[in-house]
Amino acid sequence: METTLDIFIKAIFSENMIFAYFLGMCSYLAVSKTVKTAVGLGAAVIFVLVVTVPVNYLLENYLLKEGALEWLNPAWVDIDLSFLSFIMFIAVVASIVQLVEMLVEKFAPALYGALGIFLPLIAVNCSILGGALFMQDRQYSTIGDATAFSLGSGIGWFIAIVAIAAIREKIRYSNVPAPLRGLGITFIITGLMGMAFMSFSGIKYADDTKKKAKVNVADPNTNSSITVDPGNTLNAAVGNTNIINKED
Amino acid sequence: MSEGIENKKVPREPLFSKKNKKLVTEPLADNNPVTIQVLGICSALAITVQVEQGVVMGGAVLFVLVLGNLIISLLRNLIPSRIRIIVQLVVVAALVIIVNEVLKAFLPDVSEKLSVFVGLIITNCIIMGRFEAFAMANKPWPSIMDGIGNGLGYAGLLILVAVFRELFGSGSLYGVKLLGSNIPGEEWGLYTMGYVNNNMMILPPMALIIVGIIIWVQRSRNKSLIEEH
Amino acid sequence: MAINKDSNGYTFTFAITLVVTVGTILALLAAGLKDRQDRNEEVKKQLDILSAILDVDKKKIDRSNAEENFKKFVDLDKAIVLNNKGEVLEGIYDIKGNVVEGKAFDVDIRKEFKDKKRNAEHRNYPLFLGEDEKGKTVYVMPLIGNGLWGPIWGNICLGADMNTIKGASFGHKGETPGLGAEITQNFFINGWVGEKITTEDYSFAPFKVVKDNSGATADSKVDGITGGTITSKGVEEMANRCLEVYVSYFNNLKTK
Repeated sequence: METTLDIFIKAIFSENMIFAYFLGMCSYLAVSKTVKTAVGLGAAVIFVLVVTVPVNYLLENYLLKEGALEWLNPAWVDIDLSFLSFIMFIAVVASIVQLVEMLVEKFAPALYGALGIFLPLIAVNCSILGGALFMQDRQYSTIGDATAFSLGSGIGWFIAIVAIAAIREKIRYSNVPAPLRGLGITFIITGLMGMAFMSFSGIKYADDTKKKAKVNVADPNTNSSITVDPGNTLNAAVGNTNIINKED
Repeated sequence: MSEGIENKKVPREPLFSKKNKKLVTEPLADNNPVTIQVLGICSALAITVQVEQGVVMGGAVLFVLVLGNLIISLLRNLIPSRIRIIVQLVVVAALVIIVNEVLKAFLPDVSEKLSVFVGLIITNCIIMGRFEAFAMANKPWPSIMDGIGNGLGYAGLLILVAVFRELFGSGSLYGVKLLGSNIPGEEWGLYTMGYVNNNMMILPPMALIIVGIIIWVQRSRNKSLIEEH
Repeated sequence: MAINKDSNGYTFTFAITLVVTVGTILALLAAGLKDRQDRNEEVKKQLDILSAILDVDKKKIDRSNAEENFKKFVDLDKAIVLNNKGEVLEGIYDIKGNVVEGKAFDVDIRKEFKDKKRNAEHRNYPLFLGEDEKGKTVYVMPLIGNGLWGPIWGNICLGADMNTIKGASFGHKGETPGLGAEITQNFFINGWVGEKITTEDYSFAPFKVVKDNSGATADSKVDGITGGTITSKGVEEMANRCLEVYVSYFNNLKTK
């Protein structure tokens, strides 16, 4: 079975929000000119993801999913409100961002000074809603898993934006062709970084590792654990994360 | 940010005045939402592997953008500024859900193709960006024009990127095998001469690099767009 | 305007009006269109099963005439539901593992597979019986698994010998176009046709999706998709896990 740690590590590296899914690219490109602002926005994204995903998880499991209303009234077991999920998730994200902004402003002015200007930006950051939608799609079995996923995704996003900001700070001293300066070169660098991150996902060498990792394919008693899991393979392939493949 | 200034008490402009036409034509090139305004990148990269996907996504965004711009523009004097972001998000999400539900009921095949993108359309910064920058401050008609312009500019870029990626990555355009076929046993065309598809093109990072190159070309042609750093 | 747009009262009124309006529209729409949508999904399911039995493109079967053709080629009265040991169930399992009343066609394997609260031993395995164009008995087994980005599914059609694959169809939610998404293409499906699912002593012969694209012909070897390795492996895992259940059922049948 997929462990919580597994989900966490996967969310940082192989399923990195920026490099694997391109979520939150707009603010990633706009706010990565200096490392300082990048750290601020990155921290704000981690924070908001960790708060919103568990809330949306509860919402999904106790309100929206088919059968989710059973705890209120057994007769409502057939109600399926999942068509409302987009709108609910968005409302939750936007209102939590607003709420957090107010609370931080009131109780931690210093933190507000550092994060404040980024919070409104975050409401429209696709990675936040993306986090909620992935959570829904992957059906995490506990709220702990969902939180681990959100923390991992946030950290992955943080790493990505800080890395590009550091590169952009340095590239100022390089002789980049004029038309490519700024946005153009940032795109290309992000592409190259994306390729580097792809090596985490074991694109081509999944084949050999699968044999090791998935010996139990034909065992009917363990049906539940044999989902094909690209992340798992990758970790086996990279070979530096033995913790993750406990079961083999 | 808003490019248009609201004209109160100015005599009515003709529907297709110069200014309105400019709203449509500018985003197609010199003010392209993706390459210049840096909006809507996420989806531009994720779904440009095949031209067909680019067309479907571009069409969907165009539709939602025009309709959403119209609604926001009509409501612009009623929306309380403190919750305007939430209101904008709700309008986009509601529009997208309505479109998707209707398609699911009446055109299930189209809906199947589109369903993957639904989340991407809602989180597309282009839509929010245009609401905030234009529709909140302009009358309905210019807002519609702005929606059409930006929607087309976005779709155009998607298709351009997709053409490169599909042609070199899969050897086809809009699903038509242009360079021959590499199916084992029935090869024809370039593949018989040892041509191989560039699988790298299909992988997402290449989309970034292609967009980067498009920006390069665009800015070499129009020097005024060059950034300092 | 005389109203103060920034007052709390106005903000709340606006927010509530908006939520109520949008909520009502969406609820009405969802309720009004539900029947049509369910119907579309049903037809799609029929179409998927049919395309495993015969070439739907050649026979010009699409959504409009899927239902009549489905009735012609598949006999739903003979369809059964198995548990994961290959035993016939009198009904279907519900989420808690109780056997309740239900029909094979109503089993939603995609939902069951995704639902982590459902015990894997309490998944239902529907088996459809039908006839091919020549009137010979065929067995259609739905499959469900995970690809690279999301779920993949398929149907495999066995001939009357309960062993040779006559046809297949695969589908996916969002595999990479040009790579993993190619599993729906004929060249991939053709690799499955003619393969046997059991060895000579009736034990299950696991499939191997190989990636050298060499036109693999050996039994139980199927050509994979270059560059779509993880999706190909997903198909392999899905086929092996699901087919094994059906093989135990067929073996019980044969030994009787």
